[in-house]
Amino acid sequence: MLTIAISKGRLQDETLALFARAGLEADGAELNSRRLIVSAIGARCRFVFVKPADVPTYVEYGVADAGVCGRDVLLEARAEVHEPLDLGLGRCRIAVAGRREVVGEDYNLLATVRVATKYPRVTADYFHERGIPIEVVTLAGSVELAPLLGLSDRIVDLVETGRTLRENGLEVIDVITESTARLIVNRASFHLKRSEVSGLVTALAGVV
Amino acid sequence: MSSLTKIPAGVQYFFDDEARLRRHVERRAVEVFAGWSYDEIILPMFDYHDLFARGMGVEQAEKTYRFVDRDGALLALRPELTSLVARTVATRFLRRPRPIRLCYSGEVFRYDEPTERGAREFHQLGLELIGQADAAADLEILLVAAEVLAALGIHDFRVALAHVDFFNGVATSLGLDEAGRARLRELIDRRSSYALDGFLREHAPQVEESWRAGFCRLTQVAGKEEALARAREVLLNERSRAAVDELAGVYEAVGALGLGEHFDIDFGDAGGLEYYTGLTFKVYVPEWGAEIGGGGRYDNLIGSFGEPEPAVGFSLSLDGLAGALARRGREAPWREHDGVREVVLGGDLAQAFREARELRARQKKVRMALNPPDPSRPRAI
Repeated sequence: MLTIAISKGRLQDETLALFARAGLEADGAELNSRRLIVSAIGARCRFVFVKPADVPTYVEYGVADAGVCGRDVLLEARAEVHEPLDLGLGRCRIAVAGRREVVGEDYNLLATVRVATKYPRVTADYFHERGIPIEVVTLAGSVELAPLLGLSDRIVDLVETGRTLRENGLEVIDVITESTARLIVNRASFHLKRSEVSGLVTALAGVV
Repeated sequence: MSSLTKIPAGVQYFFDDEARLRRHVERRAVEVFAGWSYDEIILPMFDYHDLFARGMGVEQAEKTYRFVDRDGALLALRPELTSLVARTVATRFLRRPRPIRLCYSGEVFRYDEPTERGAREFHQLGLELIGQADAAADLEILLVAAEVLAALGIHDFRVALAHVDFFNGVATSLGLDEAGRARLRELIDRRSSYALDGFLREHAPQVEESWRAGFCRLTQVAGKEEALARAREVLLNERSRAAVDELAGVYEAVGALGLGEHFDIDFGDAGGLEYYTGLTFKVYVPEWGAEIGGGGRYDNLIGSFGEPEPAVGFSLSLDGLAGALARRGREAPWREHDGVREVVLGGDLAQAFREARELRARQKKVRMALNPPDPSRPRAI
């Protein structure tokens, strides 16, 4: 039986709907309870619900055989996992944003830019590639607040519709990359549970 | 924080059952190695940094813990053991008849990014078979690896076989540059067939649609005869085709030895390319979410230290084997089941030790026991 880690929150409902279309439907009664482990109808697999950023960890360690999380999370986690499918869900962008006044302003290459983000590695890579010295301020949420209060000059965050940014007087300066939900698979499970894993990949590929 | 309570990141202390289990795993593995006439080589904990850079490449050597010798030379804690073996064979074993069979058991030290699960000290059990280029040598080390696992009571392991020329042939026939090869390799390694398809459309527009689809599917495949059949359906360059034939030969041989169920052929493994030159393999065990070991043919390494010589080898992770066994915990042959004979240190000390010595002469386990401590006087801590 496969254990599949599902990102709680933004992606959860869409992910479960996709799995249901692929013939792996989470048990409704269990889902409505507050259980963190929910079996699929017919018990062909079970779902565990974890914070998005933890999905790569569960899968890399093999306590979950597969998982679904955004590419944003994968880029940050750099987990050693397989990534066989783009599920196309939860499309968004990882972008650099700042107050309207600074958009279009050149980075002063002598000064250190302070950037607030939930993605410290993605952020550091982006700015280092451009030779811009930065100080990364890692936050757990409400990143948009940082430039408003003067905690940072820029932010790097997920942008879905851009509404939160606009309402806070922020604008996208540059898009770092696009992100969608990915199916990831543990490297050992790929070999040890070969037929179940390839069954899962094929079933999902058929409904993406 | 006090350095009395804090332990440096990535190192571990082992005691009680955990220590016994690790020694048990090591003993079993070394027994199997010895059974196949591999002589143990005990290697230094550190050596010149340059040696490791020469052996495993500058990038790998970046992961070493480095320090400076009294004369200013750059040293490194050993990040792997094969380079040390290779250098020894190429220099000091010049006159020994070939093939040379050597095995080792020891810790290696690598500073790594968060992958490798945070550990920085790893215990490897491994061997090298040097000076024999044929398939018999490849087969021999596969059998030894399988026997180690069986000797530990692990019967549900899986070995994924691969061949570097499968990838090399494809990359060359596509005419990719260095960056393109690296990207192709990464996409295959992550088994991202959708991204692989996009990459090939862009960087190898000359290939036919059907080939591209077939190749992308193939990199998702690990399996037995059906995987080989699929590989042969995809029209391949000569080099890749030879690799497929070689893999088929190895698979047939392990099958004839009754080990077929443990072996798969994997066309989506593009690891170790800067090092391996032929067959490669990775070993997987339930209860351990990553490969527990692996190896392959590396015919170019010894040449970095002297005359070129063919070689194959593998290593298994003692940490992984012990971890998997601890999680099974069903039978625990490493635990002490035999009763301990308590010898009470009462009045006559000499008499007590005489008794203990007699028991020891009969191979009994003894524990010298003091009279029970006075509970009214707690021990100061």
